[in-house]
Amino acid sequence: MESLLYTSSSGRQCLYVELPITDYREALELQRSIVAARNNHTLDCDVILILEHSAVFTLGRRGGLDNLTVSETFLEKKGIPVVHVERGGDITYHGPGQLIGYPIIDLRTLRLSVTDYVSGLEEIMLRTAADFGVAAERNPKNRGIWVGNSKLGSIGISIRHGVAFHGFAFNVNIFLEPFCWINPCGLKEVGITSLSKALSRTISMRQVRRRIRHHLSAVFGFDLVPIKVADLQDAAKKLVLQAAMK
Amino acid sequence: MSKEISELNLPDDVKYTDDHEWARLEGENLKVGLTDYAQDQLGEIVFVEMPELGDTFEKKEEFGSLESVKAVSEMYMPVGGEIVSINEELSDAPELVNEDPYGKGWIIEVKPGDPAELDLLMNKDAYLEMLKGLE
Repeated sequence: MESLLYTSSSGRQCLYVELPITDYREALELQRSIVAARNNHTLDCDVILILEHSAVFTLGRRGGLDNLTVSETFLEKKGIPVVHVERGGDITYHGPGQLIGYPIIDLRTLRLSVTDYVSGLEEIMLRTAADFGVAAERNPKNRGIWVGNSKLGSIGISIRHGVAFHGFAFNVNIFLEPFCWINPCGLKEVGITSLSKALSRTISMRQVRRRIRHHLSAVFGFDLVPIKVADLQDAAKKLVLQAAMK
Repeated sequence: MSKEISELNLPDDVKYTDDHEWARLEGENLKVGLTDYAQDQLGEIVFVEMPELGDTFEKKEEFGSLESVKAVSEMYMPVGGEIVSINEELSDAPELVNEDPYGKGWIIEVKPGDPAELDLLMNKDAYLEMLKGLE
């Protein structure tokens, strides 16, 4: 598995879209439309969305509100919505200062098993943490990356006809208090951390975005093609044409 | 570590779909489950989201999902029809999908709306060819 992933040099073109702070539901609609286009072959290349979310709690397929330790009214007062989604896992929190990556990837054409793919996403976050001097690790029982008993990065993946979507969430400067209003990911007795907390200093999101991008390309062997979201459809068509002419 | 294709258990008495499900005719109904390839790819299954008895779906429509320690994967109808039975044992023992994918790990039983749709599914050899194409 390791050799397959990390020596990969396929150089597959992959569209790379950087977004600013984006409402969760808006990003979800964008993801779903890309997955649909990937499934019906109007889009024939993979897409990675990189963004931050405005504050939101999300529930996975199994998620009940049991792991919410404050009332929904309390969240309403704070103006934080709760959204049900199709990813795996239980309740979690997203907010500004957390770097989100949504690779929308056809695992079949990438020839990756789900297990290898998730390991790859963990590897990207581990390497990025290491770039900033934080030694994070995998945990054999729980997905994501960890510093001691505290979670630094999370993973939640969904698969629709072989196309993976949702992805990873990496805590950079995110305000950690809202995580105390839940048992993160349904896990009791574990904490949450961020790069800033681990290093006791503020880390620039811009720098983290740069390192994440570097490792995404290195780990999966992607040739990342940056584009604006508005140009997504056009760019996808061009890439398909280029590939056909080769 | 994923299984090699030669290591996969692909019985002759079921039909296969391109979403890695199998279907076996038992009397008038179809038993449906996940192929050995799919369970191996997903890893340890921890939760199976089932449809309700009596639900009807079109061919290829999503009827439920499987959650492994790694990901959630949707499941699709091999043929259109009505859900006449679901494997209740999976609520307490979802790992049966990994341990015995063509036996105790079956997922739903469907009463096909149009039995002719069954003929459109792949036999073992065609499925094996498709898997080789993915390698």
